[in-house]
Amino acid sequence: MLVEGKSGMQCAEFDALLTEAMDGALNGERRERFEQHKTSCAACQTWSAEVTNGLAWLEEMEDVVPPPILVHNILAATSGAAGQAANAEPRASAWERLRRQVGAVFAPVLTARFGMSMGMAFFSITLLLDMAQIRIKDLTPHNLSHTFYSSQNKVMKYYENMRLVYEIESRVRNLRNAGEENEREREERMRRQEKNNNQTREQNQNSEPEQSQPNRFSRIQNVQWPASLRGSEVYFGELAKQRREI
Amino acid sequence: MATATGASPPMLARLKAVQGRVVEARVEESQVVAQLVRRCASGDAVAWEEIVQRFHRRIYNICYRFVGSGDDAQDLTQEVFIKVFRTVGSFDGEKASFNTWLTTVTRNLLVDNFRKKRDDRATDSMDATLGPEENGSTLAERLASDAPSQQVHIESRERREMVHRALQQISPDLREAVILRDLQDMDYREIAQVLKVPEGTVKSRINRGRAELARLLQRTYRQAL
Repeated sequence: MLVEGKSGMQCAEFDALLTEAMDGALNGERRERFEQHKTSCAACQTWSAEVTNGLAWLEEMEDVVPPPILVHNILAATSGAAGQAANAEPRASAWERLRRQVGAVFAPVLTARFGMSMGMAFFSITLLLDMAQIRIKDLTPHNLSHTFYSSQNKVMKYYENMRLVYEIESRVRNLRNAGEENEREREERMRRQEKNNNQTREQNQNSEPEQSQPNRFSRIQNVQWPASLRGSEVYFGELAKQRREI
Repeated sequence: MATATGASPPMLARLKAVQGRVVEARVEESQVVAQLVRRCASGDAVAWEEIVQRFHRRIYNICYRFVGSGDDAQDLTQEVFIKVFRTVGSFDGEKASFNTWLTTVTRNLLVDNFRKKRDDRATDSMDATLGPEENGSTLAERLASDAPSQQVHIESRERREMVHRALQQISPDLREAVILRDLQDMDYREIAQVLKVPEGTVKSRINRGRAELARLLQRTYRQAL
């Protein structure tokens, strides 16, 4: 809308003056130029007519009456604080103001629920201290450090004792294990020996025909060989065999 | 909103005298309100009740015209006053009048409420029913009807209802400017303060809002006929 009419007014300026013109606040030469532009510019004429129509519609509107309960609701929603404010002294002392400020800071914790929780917590802690045989006077810094060091010593001693006991237990277990190991080895050795013996016996049984061979061959078997000729029975056995073959 | 073109000098003099008296009354009113606000800030419950009595109707009307529903307007009016009650101590009479400050608080709350409800904002058209108290008939049906409801006062009521619904159809920026100017009769400077935009923008929004409203209502009439 940059049309410039005979009045020398542009559409943007017309729009800016439209509200003033409708309010009746546009007079003199400005009013004349405004009217001239309106006559010469069709777009602004339409625009002005629409705006005027809209205003005419809105002028028909009346105030709606709010429900009577609204004021009551508003006052009820703000009554607690309002009542307090109304009952408050106009000028409170510095101490009173400080007390109120501190009270406002601690207001969230100064409730019945919080008080009950704190009471329960205190009761539980007292019960625990009683069970642990800790008295309140033991909780001074000196007593606390004394208790700490004595407790530390007790714990250290207990630890050392426990270590000794475990070491002894460990040694005993090692010894027992070693004895069992020896026993197992001895049994194993005996089993092996017995097995060897059995094998040897079986071998002997298997080699029996060869030993009886000289019996079949000759009377040599019953000969008592002198010590110097022992081991020569095989030779003589062979010899006897050859003679028989011949 | 009467025009004052071509007025004779005696009429102008009388007009100026009336304007002077209006200004005096406004100054007096603003002084009384300022006194009430001071008393309220110091914890005077009577002053607070007086403030609620004086301003609740205006705030309710702004809310009602903006949100379109009586129940929502009630809730929002209550919220506005609760907020005012809590923050009345921060009101500075040097910066703006109490009326402007109160309207600013209301407008901010309405904008917040609008943003919250933007996603599920009702997009009902002018053909939608008016609600239980209107027997569920549409505006178009009512305007086309030849029934005895064509009586003058009923017509007038229906027109107002139609304008009210049309107002809900225009954009919030234009709507708030139109409501504050044409329904609450605030001056441009005050509206500019409330909306935090220049006066030129306020005037432009008012023009656009009025034109948009006229177009919407014209369309509705065409549909009805």
